[in-house]
Amino acid sequence: MTYHLSIFMENRPGKLERITKILADLAVNIRAISLASAGEFGVAKFLVDKGETAYNALKEQNITVSKRRILIILLPDEPGAMHGLLQVLAENEINLEDCYGFVIDRGKQAALVIEAEKYPQAEGVLQEKSYRLLSDEELRNL
Amino acid sequence: MFWDKPVETMEEEALQAMQLRLLNETLHKAAGAPFYRNLPVKEVKTLQDFTAVPFTKKQDLRDHFPYGFLRTDLSEAVRLHSSSGTTGNPTVVFHTMDDLEKWTDQVARCLYMVGVRRQDVFQNTMGYGLLTGGLGFQYGAEKLGALTIPIGPGNSRRQIWFMQTFGTTVVHILPSYALRLYSVFEEMGLDPKKDTKLRIFIIGSEPHSEELRRQIEELYGVKAYNSYGLSEMCGPGVGFECPCQNGIHIWEDRYFVEVIDPETGETVPDGEEGELVLTTLQKEAMPLLRYRTGDLTSIIPGRCRCGRVHKRIARIKGRADDMLIINGVNLFPIQIEKTIMGIPGVGKNYLIEIKTENFMDKLYIKVEVDREIFEGTLSGLTGLQNRITEALKGEILVTPTVQLVEPGSLPVWEGKAKRVQDMRNK
Repeated sequence: MTYHLSIFMENRPGKLERITKILADLAVNIRAISLASAGEFGVAKFLVDKGETAYNALKEQNITVSKRRILIILLPDEPGAMHGLLQVLAENEINLEDCYGFVIDRGKQAALVIEAEKYPQAEGVLQEKSYRLLSDEELRNL
Repeated sequence: MFWDKPVETMEEEALQAMQLRLLNETLHKAAGAPFYRNLPVKEVKTLQDFTAVPFTKKQDLRDHFPYGFLRTDLSEAVRLHSSSGTTGNPTVVFHTMDDLEKWTDQVARCLYMVGVRRQDVFQNTMGYGLLTGGLGFQYGAEKLGALTIPIGPGNSRRQIWFMQTFGTTVVHILPSYALRLYSVFEEMGLDPKKDTKLRIFIIGSEPHSEELRRQIEELYGVKAYNSYGLSEMCGPGVGFECPCQNGIHIWEDRYFVEVIDPETGETVPDGEEGELVLTTLQKEAMPLLRYRTGDLTSIIPGRCRCGRVHKRIARIKGRADDMLIINGVNLFPIQIEKTIMGIPGVGKNYLIEIKTENFMDKLYIKVEVDREIFEGTLSGLTGLQNRITEALKGEILVTPTVQLVEPGSLPVWEGKAKRVQDMRNK
């Protein structure tokens, strides 16, 4: 299962820094990050190369963390690529709970990370349309 | 089941006759103390007549510090206990040897009632010294015959080490500290259900909700019993829950129990809430007449299934002086605890803050989330926040601002929890 780490934190100076310190000390590389706030508190999501190592270390430090299943879809880094993908998802009534993207190779390849409501179905639809998903192995070596 | 069967199961009529006799003896004895020298009532014919005796208040104890309530010669008094006295003179209570023996016997009676026996190992995490929760339980548990560890408060890892090393079965603990201690068990990778022999918790000294008691019982796999006492009467052992866990029996051979309307001073009927008023019945060094405890409760009508006639009071709702007034609405911190502790996703600690904003009172409740229940979404958190807000609105009729905070981020106390921070402009 591909996942990112979802962390509950208060929206105050130093809270995020505490997490990045733990990751830095373990030489965990952050591939992408997204933050969502509800005012006083929020949720930070980290996509990292060594998920298990990072998860265990955060747990040990009593951080409120959980693993969230994701799909990482590889796209060409060009105008309209994301739109094409979203068309496919919309036509198949697949709702996104969370989404963020990053560039892997400028002008060539990008990735879109999604948390979807319906996993096996979303995966099936994407494979049918020949979208390539980033494997755990590839994520580690990115 | 009974430590002192004739007294514990005495019929109501006999108990009342005994109380009337002891009240008259106490009136006579009390007159020997400077404070009670000019008592308007010398003798009562019925228990009801006793309401003619004036109340004694905590302030009276402070105003007649240090010896105004001592009725025996100083040579008879063998011990003194005292409150911290952070606001003015401390409250001082004196004991003769006979007082100490009776107090010890009461504590043993309480412990025996809930199943503590000679074979038990009793770890007392309350403070020793001037406060009564340490020595009071020490002597009571020793009299019962249990191996008693006077470890005192604090140093959680050492507490756990003692529990494991000596096979502690019974613990006397503040309810807020029980929760704090559990997180230390967790940090050490231990599960008290599997890794200790704990079976009974005695919890008291701070008002707590039924929900909090159940949570402690579940976390530790124990039975938790509510202990009631105040140093003015002796200390712990004034009242205790029986195995039915439905109200605290006040030992009526030792105390005369009344519940009054704190505003008018009139006695309220059983079942109705008011302030608990106690009179010592067998105290030698320092009898107290109609002492206003400040504790809010009600007398539970009817007889308990355990077979004891001694009156039961409901769990303490708070102290008359704990009451918060938020924009004119009265509420007690315990109502907030009771509400939030029943909601899944709520962790082990919370804090109540009151501030002044735009000339109005604003109530903030900081709640730690339960680390295990977090499934990683913001919507899950805002949902929890809304559920807490709605539940509180229904219970306290004030709309609070609920703030979710990280587990372990709120202050913890080794002593009594201070869960209300009133930061209003006075």
